[in-house]
Amino acid sequence: MGEVELSCLAYVKMYLHACLFPRCSVNGLLLSSSPAGGAVCVTDCVPLLHTHLPLAPITQLALTQVDVWCAQTQQRIVGYYQANACVSDSSPTPCALKIADKIAEQCNNAVLLMIDGGKMSPDYRVPPIVMYERKDTRWTLKDKHTIMLRQWEETRDIASQLLDSGDHSLLVDFDSHLDDITRDWTNQKLNAKIAELASPANASSIALPPGGGTVSIVTFTWSSSTARGRQQNINSLSINHILLENSPEWRNNG
Amino acid sequence: MASVSEMYDVTWEEMRDKLRKWREDNHRNSEQIVDVGEELINEHASKLGDDIWIIYEQVMIAALDCSRDDLAWTCLQELKKQFPGSQRVKRLAGMRLEALEKYEDASKQYDSILQDDPTNTAARKRKISILKAQGKSAEAIRELNEYLEQFVGDQEAWHELSELYINEHDYGKAAFCLEELMMTNPHNHLYCEQYAEVKYTQGGLENLELSRKYFAQALKLNNGNMRALFGLYMSASHIAASPKVNATVKKANVKYAAWATNQINRAYQVSHARYLL
Repeated sequence: MGEVELSCLAYVKMYLHACLFPRCSVNGLLLSSSPAGGAVCVTDCVPLLHTHLPLAPITQLALTQVDVWCAQTQQRIVGYYQANACVSDSSPTPCALKIADKIAEQCNNAVLLMIDGGKMSPDYRVPPIVMYERKDTRWTLKDKHTIMLRQWEETRDIASQLLDSGDHSLLVDFDSHLDDITRDWTNQKLNAKIAELASPANASSIALPPGGGTVSIVTFTWSSSTARGRQQNINSLSINHILLENSPEWRNNG
Repeated sequence: MASVSEMYDVTWEEMRDKLRKWREDNHRNSEQIVDVGEELINEHASKLGDDIWIIYEQVMIAALDCSRDDLAWTCLQELKKQFPGSQRVKRLAGMRLEALEKYEDASKQYDSILQDDPTNTAARKRKISILKAQGKSAEAIRELNEYLEQFVGDQEAWHELSELYINEHDYGKAAFCLEELMMTNPHNHLYCEQYAEVKYTQGGLENLELSRKYFAQALKLNNGNMRALFGLYMSASHIAASPKVNATVKKANVKYAAWATNQINRAYQVSHARYLL
């Protein structure tokens, strides 16, 4: 079907959302500030939940609130993303399909994006994402050549930098907002930080290579020894610890 | 790289007390525990006395959570030296195997603990965790049910089972688990609110009314619970909008929804004022 472009802002926030809650399934909505028709440009995302993804009330509430905010800010909901807690399986869950179906009712080019936790290692070369599009009534894998991420290396660099500096904890998802409503789920502060770090957009866009391909490899020098340690934390996504005896972290309303 | 004590200007005693607090509250802030614990172990081991063993255990588990195999191994060795043949240390060794995804070996480790002590709940729960990690939800649910037949009072197990059922979209059984929890913890607003969310998800007029009642109950127990407040608004609105209700019920629910809206608006106004301060 059509082309999909993923902006630096959207990718970085999704990635940081998955990193902020490495032991939980997380999800969120993909937004576009471009008009409908033609290629889908995902310009932003709203992180939603990190607990009880399949339960209805908070999801419905979040969808409504994001809808209203989009109307006020000339954006549209064009997709949905999810990262599963169990990294061995990054296929869309029934609740992911349900929500994506709902979005597709309003936006016929809607995309479903799964973050592949197993591919989020310290030196990942391609974005750890898998995209699906709606063909007839089923969600099918999207052709990688129709997915574009401009300035991929800069984007990846920005995500890593924010992780190293601990700024990923600035990210507020809808769940966190409900725990403390003074926190801003539109993430204006984090958006500003990301914009600061992003280099000016340049004419060439980088298509996702099928597996290694033409993207040049840039070696990073980590700024401090904690950086590697932090990145290894992301590896905890690949080791699913369910500490059964530990009671779940009760939110501060307890 | 600055040490924790330098960065936060804390003494080793404060660090030790912080670790104790996290232990007692069962926090899973593993990165912090590793940072604080590692420094305590490396710099202040001699001052900690007998506390050091429990700190080794706490730091080891946190280290496994953060992929710090080096640190986990060190802690495990110290514990093995001090407590040879201990079941508790055996379980930690099993957890390390789990972290390395050596699930067969971990399972054997737990089986050997259970051979010596069939009532060892920790080992049984670890075996269920392995099933969950491998994505074998159906088996995990079955084993957890069997476990709960024997250990009916294990709250965390009931809660874990409710989570497993929710992920399998088996809301009826999830509700049952939460009912058990509400019975034994009548003052816990979070269980009420979760139960209400499950009922809402199940749908249908009866479940919506139940969900509204439990959202209200959660609010009574804690009027700061925003999820419960929103839940009350949404369930009341849905009931009021349903064609199956009579006029009295409709009117009542419209009132509840209006009250909830009011409370929500007030909460946001207060929060904006606080935010601007």
